[in-house]
Amino acid sequence: MNHSTLRLSCAACGVFALSLCCASPVRADDLPPNDFRLGLYAIFFHGTADDLAGPYVPAGVNFKFDNTDTLYGAYIRRLTENVQVEFAVGVPPLTKSEGRGPASLGSVPYAGETLTTTRWFSPTLLLEYSFFDESTPLRPFLGVGVNYTNFYDRDFTGPGSAASGGPTKLSLSSSVGPAVTGGLAWRLAPRWHVYASYSWSEVKTNLSADTAGEIRTTRISFSPQPIIVSFGYAF
Amino acid sequence: MFRSMTFVGLAAGTLVLAACGSSTQTSSVASSTARGTLAVDPPFRIASLDAAAFTAQLSASSTGAQLLELTGNPVCGVDFYHIEFWTVGGNATTPEVTESSGALMVPTGGSGCSGPRPIVEYAHGTQAEKSYDIADVTNASNTEGILIAAAFAAQGYIVVAPNYAGYDISTLGYHPYLNAVQNSSEMIDILAAARTALPHTLSAATSDNGKLFLTGYSEGGYVAVATQRAMQAAGTAVTAVAGLSGPYALEAFGDAIFFGSVDLGSTEFTPFLTTSYQHAYGNIYTATTDVYSAEYANGIDTLLPSSQPLDTLFSEGLLPATAEFDQTTPVVSIPDEPALSAGLTAALAVPASTSSAQAPIFDLGFGNPGLVNNSFRESYAIDAGTNPDGAVPTARAGVPLAAAAPKQTFRNALYVNDLRNGAWVPKEPTLLCGGDLDPTVYFSVNTQTLQAFWAATPAAPYVTVVDVNATPTANDPFAKLQAAFLASGASLLAYYESPAGGSLSATQAEAQILENYHVSVAPFCVAAAASFFSQF
Repeated sequence: MNHSTLRLSCAACGVFALSLCCASPVRADDLPPNDFRLGLYAIFFHGTADDLAGPYVPAGVNFKFDNTDTLYGAYIRRLTENVQVEFAVGVPPLTKSEGRGPASLGSVPYAGETLTTTRWFSPTLLLEYSFFDESTPLRPFLGVGVNYTNFYDRDFTGPGSAASGGPTKLSLSSSVGPAVTGGLAWRLAPRWHVYASYSWSEVKTNLSADTAGEIRTTRISFSPQPIIVSFGYAF
Repeated sequence: MFRSMTFVGLAAGTLVLAACGSSTQTSSVASSTARGTLAVDPPFRIASLDAAAFTAQLSASSTGAQLLELTGNPVCGVDFYHIEFWTVGGNATTPEVTESSGALMVPTGGSGCSGPRPIVEYAHGTQAEKSYDIADVTNASNTEGILIAAAFAAQGYIVVAPNYAGYDISTLGYHPYLNAVQNSSEMIDILAAARTALPHTLSAATSDNGKLFLTGYSEGGYVAVATQRAMQAAGTAVTAVAGLSGPYALEAFGDAIFFGSVDLGSTEFTPFLTTSYQHAYGNIYTATTDVYSAEYANGIDTLLPSSQPLDTLFSEGLLPATAEFDQTTPVVSIPDEPALSAGLTAALAVPASTSSAQAPIFDLGFGNPGLVNNSFRESYAIDAGTNPDGAVPTARAGVPLAAAAPKQTFRNALYVNDLRNGAWVPKEPTLLCGGDLDPTVYFSVNTQTLQAFWAATPAAPYVTVVDVNATPTANDPFAKLQAAFLASGASLLAYYESPAGGSLSATQAEAQILENYHVSVAPFCVAAAASFFSQF
């Protein structure tokens, strides 16, 4: 876990402690049907990729993605007392890939080098079920849904271009995959609450790197697992 | 509710799209197909090796270690680029536009390896496989690419080497084999493209200092000297040239082969030649059966270069391994010329096994059926008999000129592309290197014929000839190479006679060495060229 993630977790603990002290019971008919949430994502990648394939690529050339943090926002529409729909988006994070495999390709450093930077727009639509009734201050919830991911601002770094053999165009196909989530909601006030959740989604993409017409490809499975802490306001 | 959700989604998407930037672009592709245009700029770097890594890579194999003994350890790193460029095909009347490719090897490192550096333009030997890419040093079988990288690029020369039209990415459906005009045009075109590419590469710290050396081995030796002639005609300054084991005197060489001195490799070279000249001049044959026996004629005009290895073509019966001609000697009959007819018939007979040291190899050139039919061989022989070459079958007094006006179309194509033609002689230092026992490209018929041809011209002071198989003499700058070649031969002989090498008899061992002789001369002649170039 990196330092920013640690700070985020400590902040989340503080918010929860405060929430437990200040929570007050509310009635169900107090709750408006809409909710906006704003918070922080800490995204952990448990990605795997096939070794890069294509011309002039030695065996075992692979890479991994660095974990990242970003802002989280969501719109929630309550359907019943226990069922709600969440549409979640994050500020597209800048994600870096790092070479994994041989220490060098020829004499060009590879393993551990930052090769690419990519931003990705990754909205998720979730159908969630919250346990207990709305007067319960601390309500766990579970959800399932679908994630769409689109990659953009795809750039090779200097070391990445050197390892690739020149300026390289990076393409990553969009992904549609399942998503699940689980968390806790703590009501602070009739319209204010704090959420903490853990999610998982399946993001698979076909990577294609074009260096002067030489195409190298691989299939990547990201499996991003965001931990989210957010404040929500109902209206 | 769903309407509002859709709106939120669209709004978020719009915000994101507004923030979108384009991804990094790759190289640009030229819209022009003019000769010498760099098609993809900057070019693709296949590999980058520093001097230590290249040394380690070569040292890891016994052949690499032997190569280092000849070339010395790399003093520079080398960046290997695959360059693509536009050039011409071989058609002599209707210019064909084609893309071709090759290698740009750029030395890297400190002083003597970057900054302004000389260019060596290298032309490779005959390759049967269409996929051949001399730039691909990641392919361990690309020994020629590794050889020139070690001998030139790792010693501080920028190396430019075409794969040739018809190979690699080229869409030309044939290779203009030993076509002097096309070969030299392509060398000129890749040089222009490489000079365009150089400042845009990842190795832009290395630049062209204006010195230009030309060299090549086997087919490439021919291409190098043809390019020397073309650049001289174009007024392009060339610093020095090294032709290595090349078939320069094509007509003489063809005559020697058709008169029974069949070289090793002829069943590969002949289809390359007839296809090349048919595309160039359109008059070599009406049907391939005009040249080839029925067994091999079908599809032979598109057989080479091939997607399959040469051994596969042999094993699948698409080409005979060595039988160039039919075992049955054709009977030549020229009206009113009984003596000449009898003489030619005798000359076409399978050489007696004891006629020369190389006769056992010549014998391999005959089979049943042979690749070339007897009718075609006879027509060639009649033309050679009535319009004899100045060097073959026997050297005539004076300068060994090519025949003035061959009538047989194939022989005329050899004449047109014979480098004794063209009213030119070298005006820059020129090295011709080879091995006198070469059973593939005859040293005496090619190198020594050209040497004798030039000896009677103002070019003589510029020309140096090295036979790597000669006994070293004191004060000869190439004596160390000759000694090394002789030692290598002795070592190989001992190996083949040992249990590890198969316990061959002395005769069998010598035959084995001769079979690989042409290839084994290459590193020694390339080292001779590097030594020669280092003077300028």
